[in-house]
Amino acid sequence: MADLGIMALLLGVALSAYAAVGAIVGEKMRMAELAVSAHRALYMTTASAAVASAALIYAFVQNDFSIEYVANHSNTFMDRAFVWVAFYAGNEGSLLYILLVLAVISAISIWCAPKRLARSMPWTIAILALTQLFYFSVLVFSASPFELLESVPEDGRGINPLLTHPGMFSHPPLLMGGLIAITVPFAFVSGALIAGNFGDDWIDVARVSAIIGWGVLGTGMLLGAWWAYTILGWGGYWAWDPIENVALMPWLVMTAFIHSIMVQKRRGMFRMWNVALLNIGFVLAQLGMFINRGGPVVSVHSFAASSLGLIFLSFMLVSLVFAFALFLWRMPQMKSDRNMESFMSREASFLVNNFLFLSVMAVTLWGVLFPLFSDFARDVSVSVSAPYFDRANGPVLLGIVAMMGIGPLLPWRKASARSLKQWFVLPIIVLIVTVVILVVLGVQRPVAIFSFAVVAFVAASIVEEWWRGTAARHRSGDNWALAWWRLINGNRPRHGGYIVHISILMLGLGIIGTNFYQQRTDGAIGLGESLIIDNYRVEYVDRGDASRPDRIAQWAEMSVYQIDPEDYRQEIDFARAQGSTGFTLKDSTRRPNDEMIDTIEPWHGFYLDFNMASVRSGIRSTIVEDLYVIPRDFLSDGRVSLAVSINPLAWWLWASGPFFIIGTMVALWPQPAVEKRPARSSLKPDPSIETEGEE
Amino acid sequence: MTSSLTSLMIQTVLVSRFVADNEIGFIESRCGKLPHHFFSPCIDWGSLDGERLVMASRFPFKLIGPRALPQRLNVATLIVLITSLVLLFSACIREEDITLEQRAHQLSGELMCLVCDGQTIDGSSAQIAIDMRLKVRELLEEGNTNAQIREYFVVRYGEEILAAPGGRGFNRLAWIVPVVIVVGAIGIALFTIKNMRDSSLKKQTAAGTSEAVSEYESDLDDYLAKVDRDLGISDDRSYSTDTSNKENL
Repeated sequence: MADLGIMALLLGVALSAYAAVGAIVGEKMRMAELAVSAHRALYMTTASAAVASAALIYAFVQNDFSIEYVANHSNTFMDRAFVWVAFYAGNEGSLLYILLVLAVISAISIWCAPKRLARSMPWTIAILALTQLFYFSVLVFSASPFELLESVPEDGRGINPLLTHPGMFSHPPLLMGGLIAITVPFAFVSGALIAGNFGDDWIDVARVSAIIGWGVLGTGMLLGAWWAYTILGWGGYWAWDPIENVALMPWLVMTAFIHSIMVQKRRGMFRMWNVALLNIGFVLAQLGMFINRGGPVVSVHSFAASSLGLIFLSFMLVSLVFAFALFLWRMPQMKSDRNMESFMSREASFLVNNFLFLSVMAVTLWGVLFPLFSDFARDVSVSVSAPYFDRANGPVLLGIVAMMGIGPLLPWRKASARSLKQWFVLPIIVLIVTVVILVVLGVQRPVAIFSFAVVAFVAASIVEEWWRGTAARHRSGDNWALAWWRLINGNRPRHGGYIVHISILMLGLGIIGTNFYQQRTDGAIGLGESLIIDNYRVEYVDRGDASRPDRIAQWAEMSVYQIDPEDYRQEIDFARAQGSTGFTLKDSTRRPNDEMIDTIEPWHGFYLDFNMASVRSGIRSTIVEDLYVIPRDFLSDGRVSLAVSINPLAWWLWASGPFFIIGTMVALWPQPAVEKRPARSSLKPDPSIETEGEE
Repeated sequence: MTSSLTSLMIQTVLVSRFVADNEIGFIESRCGKLPHHFFSPCIDWGSLDGERLVMASRFPFKLIGPRALPQRLNVATLIVLITSLVLLFSACIREEDITLEQRAHQLSGELMCLVCDGQTIDGSSAQIAIDMRLKVRELLEEGNTNAQIREYFVVRYGEEILAAPGGRGFNRLAWIVPVVIVVGAIGIALFTIKNMRDSSLKKQTAAGTSEAVSEYESDLDDYLAKVDRDLGISDDRSYSTDTSNKENL
């Protein structure tokens, strides 16, 4: 298998080099046949990558421990389903996976590319082929997953225990896939620029491919947050860790791009700006690869740490220089067709939103790099972690959310006073009413109140627009559901965007709740004892052993009771006086109003080979709040040491996921090209996705 | 004019916030312990003389003066208003509202676990993290302020122990640069919009009437007018190129 894999990779090097050279020479020397064969060679690299991947997966399935990578990331105890995870669990395998994704999406994108881009296709192919060549070469020369061991071990080392979670089947592949997918819009736009194709022909293909990559990356990050919440046992979901930040930064830039590309599509403006955004996004994705693979920063989860840092740094610098040299060369030809007419216009609000996204990106980048500057400038190590990013990025992120309510309500070109009044009155009333209600309810933190109010404002703006559109269609005879459905279908990019906005609002609710109102207590309890926090009582009722040869593992069964704090007044007052949020209770007698509501089973394992602990938190989730129990340790005296917290609104973080995915898909769904109603005859069909053959 | 004025305001507001933010010791001496949360929410209206609150609140008042608020509300003003509101609310939290344990938990989130690759001691179950958490609680019970406790750990483990760089000396840079970035970005955006608007106004004046609307644009007009009809709204909402507007140009 190892030989087959190596041969496939070597063939891939040759094919991608041939595709790159062939495309360029074919174009320059006007050798059409060479260009066609280069085009086809790029399909064949996909086959090479697929064969190499299949060889590696097959080796895992066969427990072929003569291959070093297999021996290091698998063992005979491993559930076979995790072969898929083991495939990308380490540096070499994840590179192969990234290459596979790149090869497949390159092939699909050049297959689907619209005919009118024919002139720039050779250059697009060359850029895609060169990127593939880079990965093929790294895999062959520096990080081969098919390296053989001199002596074949009895059993492998096993998979990294933190990766044995259902979330791992999809989180890393989506994250890596999303990062590499930015290559496609970049290749199309750069190809068009080199070829001198300055029209807007590339808009649709760039928009569609960018949204796909952006949606995949966003879903990947959300799944990562969910995984961290349920398994890492640090009690959080987003730590502003360097590895997380390098995935977030390109996502932010691509978010800016998919907004401003609409301005170019509708108004012929922002050409240069869109190209610049794609360039930045692509370079940041390369920065992500670099930091992931032996970058100079410390991270919680660098599963792929390696000595490839320098190689990836070089590739990132080369792409940086290439992208911006090309940009500067072609800048004079990328003027806007029109100019901005007013501050109060959608294009102006999109520009502001773009700059806000870029400033969050830049601040994050600064935070990631600051420890290096400090080391370099004064030889003192500093840490830059969540408290810094929360404070530096928090206000701007809230500003972005607010823009989400303002921008879509503004018309293109210029808003009249009347339309402002017509559209902003309701959301502003909702904003004020929210503040009043929260104050009356006794919510105390003004900033949290304000944040909730902004969320309500944006939600009101979306509901208002949907309501008016649906009501108008309802008046013309459709029933309500159909009217709404037709409204969404009438302009999918716009309304898909709104659905994504709703998911961001849900995410916002979760972030506000968990950041401002989390309660937390630590304590150790034995069998029969309880830990009490707020109006929950967590009783330790049973325990068991779940050890396997590679781990020492224990689980606990705990009953969750809803309690009336009045029943516990004395103890609560005592704990408060001690400065504690919660307290332990020795006796197991029920108080009058205790009501059992759930059973949770937190689990704690220690992996000997990895010298690493892994936990499953016990979570009782409702839409109002999560009771979240982390088993820190099973003590030798029979007690279990717990960190228990109440995470308000945490449910909304994960509920936002489906909305994010559905919204992205609605926005991507191709508009019907044929319209029946005569009133729509002037409607421009949206050629979002064209499925013409290649030649 | 308005835009440069507003960007100047934003700048002043943010810089004042920054300056105030970094005098952590000073603020804590006035308003108790600051959580290291974004916005550092304030509910302690008793401390209205807290430096930050006063600084921040000056700006909204300036805006509300008889001549300061532009006649027509524009995006820039809205942004300033929102920013100012946020800043108005930022100050400090009343100490008795959070338990010692809550404070210990927050402080633990500000201290790195140096042996566990980028985790704070709050999230880690390494032995050193457990010991440090106990130490934090102990120091709090002795009545130390958050700043004193941070200092305690910095003296023993070096600056690396802080999850966010302190606001003094070289580390001031860590906090200045984001302010410059955000102010710069908003400034550039507003400046660009203003420039583009001015040149389009000039063009229109020079031409006397609006330029011939391109075929694409007239297509777009029809489309958008249709969208307006579908949405059941008047023409000036979604696109202002109906006939009356064209004549105006």
